[in-house]
Amino acid sequence: MKIISAKEVTKIFSSFTAVDKLSFELRKGECFGLLGPNGAGKSTFIGMLYGVNSISSGNLEVFEMNPKSQARKVKQRMGVVTQDNALDDSLTVIENMMIYASFLGVPKKEREKRIKDLLDFMNLSHKANAPIRFLSGGMKRRLVFVRSLLGDPELLVLDEPTTGLDPAVRHLLWGKVRDLKAKGKTILLTTHYMHEAEILCDRILVMNKGKSVAEGSPSELIQKYCPGYVAVYDQIEKNESVKKFGEKHNFLIQEDRSGIYLRAPKFEDLLKMQEETKTFAAQLRPANLEDVFLQLTGQELTADA
Amino acid sequence: MLETLRLCVQLTKRNWIVYRKDLIANVSPTIFEPIFLILSLGVGLGYFITDIDGRSYTAFLAPGLAVSTALFSSFFESSYGFYIRMTFENIFKAMLTTPIGVHEVILGEYIWLSIKGAMMCSLLAIGFACFGLIKSLWLLPLIPIAGVLIALPCGALGLIATSYVKNINQFQTVYAFFIAPLFFFSGIFFPLAQMPNSLKYIAYALPLAHGVEVSRALFWNENVLYVLGVHGGILILYSAILCAFAYYRIQKILQN
Ligand SMILES: Nc1ncnc2c1ncn2[C@@H]1O[C@H](COP(=O)(O)OP(=O)(O)OP(=O)(O)O)[C@@H](O)[C@H]1O
Ligand SMILES: [Mg+2]
Repeated sequence: MKIISAKEVTKIFSSFTAVDKLSFELRKGECFGLLGPNGAGKSTFIGMLYGVNSISSGNLEVFEMNPKSQARKVKQRMGVVTQDNALDDSLTVIENMMIYASFLGVPKKEREKRIKDLLDFMNLSHKANAPIRFLSGGMKRRLVFVRSLLGDPELLVLDEPTTGLDPAVRHLLWGKVRDLKAKGKTILLTTHYMHEAEILCDRILVMNKGKSVAEGSPSELIQKYCPGYVAVYDQIEKNESVKKFGEKHNFLIQEDRSGIYLRAPKFEDLLKMQEETKTFAAQLRPANLEDVFLQLTGQELTADA
Repeated sequence: MLETLRLCVQLTKRNWIVYRKDLIANVSPTIFEPIFLILSLGVGLGYFITDIDGRSYTAFLAPGLAVSTALFSSFFESSYGFYIRMTFENIFKAMLTTPIGVHEVILGEYIWLSIKGAMMCSLLAIGFACFGLIKSLWLLPLIPIAGVLIALPCGALGLIATSYVKNINQFQTVYAFFIAPLFFFSGIFFPLAQMPNSLKYIAYALPLAHGVEVSRALFWNENVLYVLGVHGGILILYSAILCAFAYYRIQKILQN
């Protein structure tokens, strides 16, 4: 079954097109990444999935239902980790969760146990009675995960779940997302961390200014847009010799204020370059999703992004 | 339909749980202001005004002050309160990802405003009844009706204000130029009858004056059915129109 089916979905705010003919399908059990720079339209699209944003044109189905007219049925089966935590600050952890469990129609008798289990799952049990303002950023984020899971949803939508978190919490959450996926949940993820997308997602769609610019598995995308290896020199000066070497050997060269990137199909070529020029790269590595992302969306990065 | 009702009840429960946390602080201003007013004006000024429409000034003030609590509790809840919940606390953003939809958020708000209005109005009425300011105690159970009939249109006005203000400070303007005059010129402190016609028309074009009439009828047991029919009917009409407009304005903010 298709969990999400988007066909040329478009969202226009008065005159600004935030989502522009976006098409993709999310299949059951998959983890699908929606990547794109700030303002690309990711959150706007997610808002369409639960009916707060209407669809200007195109066709969107969630669980083969219309997410606007059948919003309640759709939302019963979907959990959302919103980009803003939007926790109820006036309430404690447990009160927050009890209220959301009641919204979701979790039977009274099950509420406490379900909340307790989920707090355990997210390592938050010790904070059950704390007011929200006493939680750290990472705890709040984990609590938002708990909230999104209260209704035991089939589809989990994660809008930048790890933004602003320290590496330890991020790794913890990656583990949890993997656990959830292993339990059969279907996941839609947006993130600005390419490594996160690479390790969690089966397939990825890169969007830019509302439009889809590439789609495929992480390895497919790397193969297609940045095959091979990368040498990164992070000094601005002293790059002349490597640049010359790169040009002579037809490497793909990208230079910006942060340094110079040379891409070659074979690792040995880059090693040879180091030897001959006697300048050592800050990084010598296989190309990754970040390279793809920059390639696809980076050039036209403008001030209003 | 049933599910909508269930969700509205849950939302109201949420508001009540939050409200309950600071019950004393939340209830005191709404309750004590009218009490101080009736003490200073009714007892103090009442020394000089011995007969107003055939009653003591205290007896004259009591019904209007009781119903004014519904005005204040609903206006502040739907202006500052709703605005804070919407923009600073952001709680609707998360709620709307649950089966709760925009119409439940707004209907739930109306239910909550009504409950608060009824509660405040009744609390004061009970207090006033202890001092013999209510003629027929069997009419006391009807007082909450006056509270609801004022809380709905005035709460809707607060929501409409919420949909227009650019920042939270602008509510002060709404308060100063609309809510305060409404309070002072709706016949709570003096009979509207001998006022210039123009002022009378303005007063009766706004909801509170009708609420004062309803409250008086109940406190004094005078023409209860007639007043409930006419002024109550007008308030129902106002509630319907204002709530519908507030609904239209707020839903445009909560969904795009
Ligand atoms: N209600 C709205 N009215 C007008 N424009 C809007 C509205 N909501 C979003 N936008 C615009 O739509 C564009 C896409 O916003 P959106 O929040 O979907 O981006 P995003 O991909 O989630 O970005 P980020 O990574 O920063 O979260 C932005 O330019 C934003 O300003
Ligand atoms: Mg976003």
